[in-house]
Amino acid sequence: MFVAGTIARTFTALVLFTGVAMAQNVTVVTPYLAQPGTQMYVEGFQAEAADKGWNVNVIDTAGDVAAVISRIEDAVTQKVDAIVINVDPAQIAAGLETAAAASIPVIGMDSGADPLVATNVTSNGYAMAAETAVYVANRIEGKGRVVMFVFDAFPPVQIRGVIADAVFGNFPDIEVIDRITPDVQDGGIADSRAKMEAILAANPEPGSISAVWAAWDQPALGSLQAIEDAGRADEGIVIVGIDANPQARDAIAAGGNFEASIAQDFIGIGKATANAVSRAISGEEIREKVIYVPTVLVTKSNVDK
Amino acid sequence: MIRILKLYGTLIGFALIIVLFSVLLPGTFLTSGNLINISQQISMLAVVAFTMTIVMVMNDFDLSVGSMASLAGVTAAVLFSLGYPVYVGVAAALLVGLLGGVFNGVLVSLVGILPFVATLGTLTMFSGLAFLVSGGRTIFGRDIPSEFSGFARSGVPLDSVGLDGLKLPFLSLVALVVLAVVWFVLEQTTYGRRLYAIGGNKEAARLAGVRVKSLRLSAFALTGLGAAIAGLMYSSRVASANPTQGSGLMLDAIAAVFLGMTMSEEGEPRVQHTLVGVLILGVLDNGLTQLAVDSYIREIMVGAIVITAVAFSSITKQGR
Repeated sequence: MFVAGTIARTFTALVLFTGVAMAQNVTVVTPYLAQPGTQMYVEGFQAEAADKGWNVNVIDTAGDVAAVISRIEDAVTQKVDAIVINVDPAQIAAGLETAAAASIPVIGMDSGADPLVATNVTSNGYAMAAETAVYVANRIEGKGRVVMFVFDAFPPVQIRGVIADAVFGNFPDIEVIDRITPDVQDGGIADSRAKMEAILAANPEPGSISAVWAAWDQPALGSLQAIEDAGRADEGIVIVGIDANPQARDAIAAGGNFEASIAQDFIGIGKATANAVSRAISGEEIREKVIYVPTVLVTKSNVDK
Repeated sequence: MIRILKLYGTLIGFALIIVLFSVLLPGTFLTSGNLINISQQISMLAVVAFTMTIVMVMNDFDLSVGSMASLAGVTAAVLFSLGYPVYVGVAAALLVGLLGGVFNGVLVSLVGILPFVATLGTLTMFSGLAFLVSGGRTIFGRDIPSEFSGFARSGVPLDSVGLDGLKLPFLSLVALVVLAVVWFVLEQTTYGRRLYAIGGNKEAARLAGVRVKSLRLSAFALTGLGAAIAGLMYSSRVASANPTQGSGLMLDAIAAVFLGMTMSEEGEPRVQHTLVGVLILGVLDNGLTQLAVDSYIREIMVGAIVITAVAFSSITKQGR
């Protein structure tokens, strides 16, 4: 009896030991954990990692980018199986080189592409812009005068403008009457509103403006305020944004001119990152340097979900 | 016995931390590679803490070091992005640090504002300037010359001392040089002894003929210069500059000096003790990360350790 008990205990200990030894250790490092989007990435990642039985260590450096490099070095010293970053790789090249030297894969969770990052999981900015631009074109039945708000100085937003240009350019009866870069120092709403007021003043005829396409939500919100305050809310000017932030969702739910925006699937990005980590750990060389997670068009019909 | 605990309590605590990590992290903590990593990870904080010691010797503070570090980094990066060579950007950043420090010194010593208030004001000013100079952007990528970012990634090869493939990082070397200079100035010159005299009793020092005003002014200038050096090191390490990147340095630097102060009989700051304070903070960050301790719990623990050390030293000193 005693012997059997000992054997059973030894066996259990052995199973537990191998179980622990088999579990993968993954370190997630970000300076931005306080931001809502990042929290959702991490939440999605942890849910998927729990299913896979990984030990996940989430490190928040509270805005300190140099500390991200330090913590990557520590994770490399600890010989973790993979490292996940949520920070611009260009700023942490020193840490990426350390990981590469130790052959530890680094996966980006909406971080930006880099030769030293196995793959970056993010939303497709090209697709998001195409979807909202096509929404506008279809909504105004392929003809009308459109105002664009763009920001070409910031690469992730610049690509959205390029795609919208292409979509509108493909409709012979759509005319882009202005392509505005608002001053974003105050957050983007106030200056966009001022710019839109000027455009409304320059185009006083009802129906002379068919739609406003904004590369992100703030100019769309500023335009909405300008249009409503000018008493031109009933002209049927269609406004779309990108990002579907809470303020934009409220505006869309209200059923006014702001009709659509597009939401990134933050939880989905976290889950897809965990799957990419799993592929990298298994030794697969991931060919796609960027993995896109589908986004969702938000309109009045689905804004509450 | 009490006297030994009083003087060596912090050092014993530091030793215990190292022993604990060595036992819990066999094969990864006490390796030359990891120790070299730690020396590089703490180098920026070390430079700020060493030069912070200079003003704290006189019982003064400089709360503006973090935003000065950001401002210096951003200044250099903006000049790089305008096409100026590396030495111009670096020199300009150091000059900004020196001038900012002199400005703090003028406010504190000539105008007579309390250091806490004066440097709280300049903290906000320097931070605003950093945003203004950079336009609020992070400057990175092609704007940062590779000679500048390469500095933080290179070092002196240690193959000759038997550590094949390892190198002593230049950032660690810079911290060592600053340590040596501050140690020499504070411990080996009359200038340093006068600063300690001011810290002991400002009025007595003045009556004894010490030029309190100009000494305080110059000490703040050195602290500003140190903050600018740390800001440049930070920018080199992250190959970019951002108007808020130095903001975490100030509190940690003051904490390191306080930890160090528990080690001297008179409770004065000494730069070699500040080094121990910096090492404690750096080793904790490194070891607790390796142990996968939650980063928020880590912060709570670091704060608790600082309080414990200072409380312990305060209690043992009351026993005298």
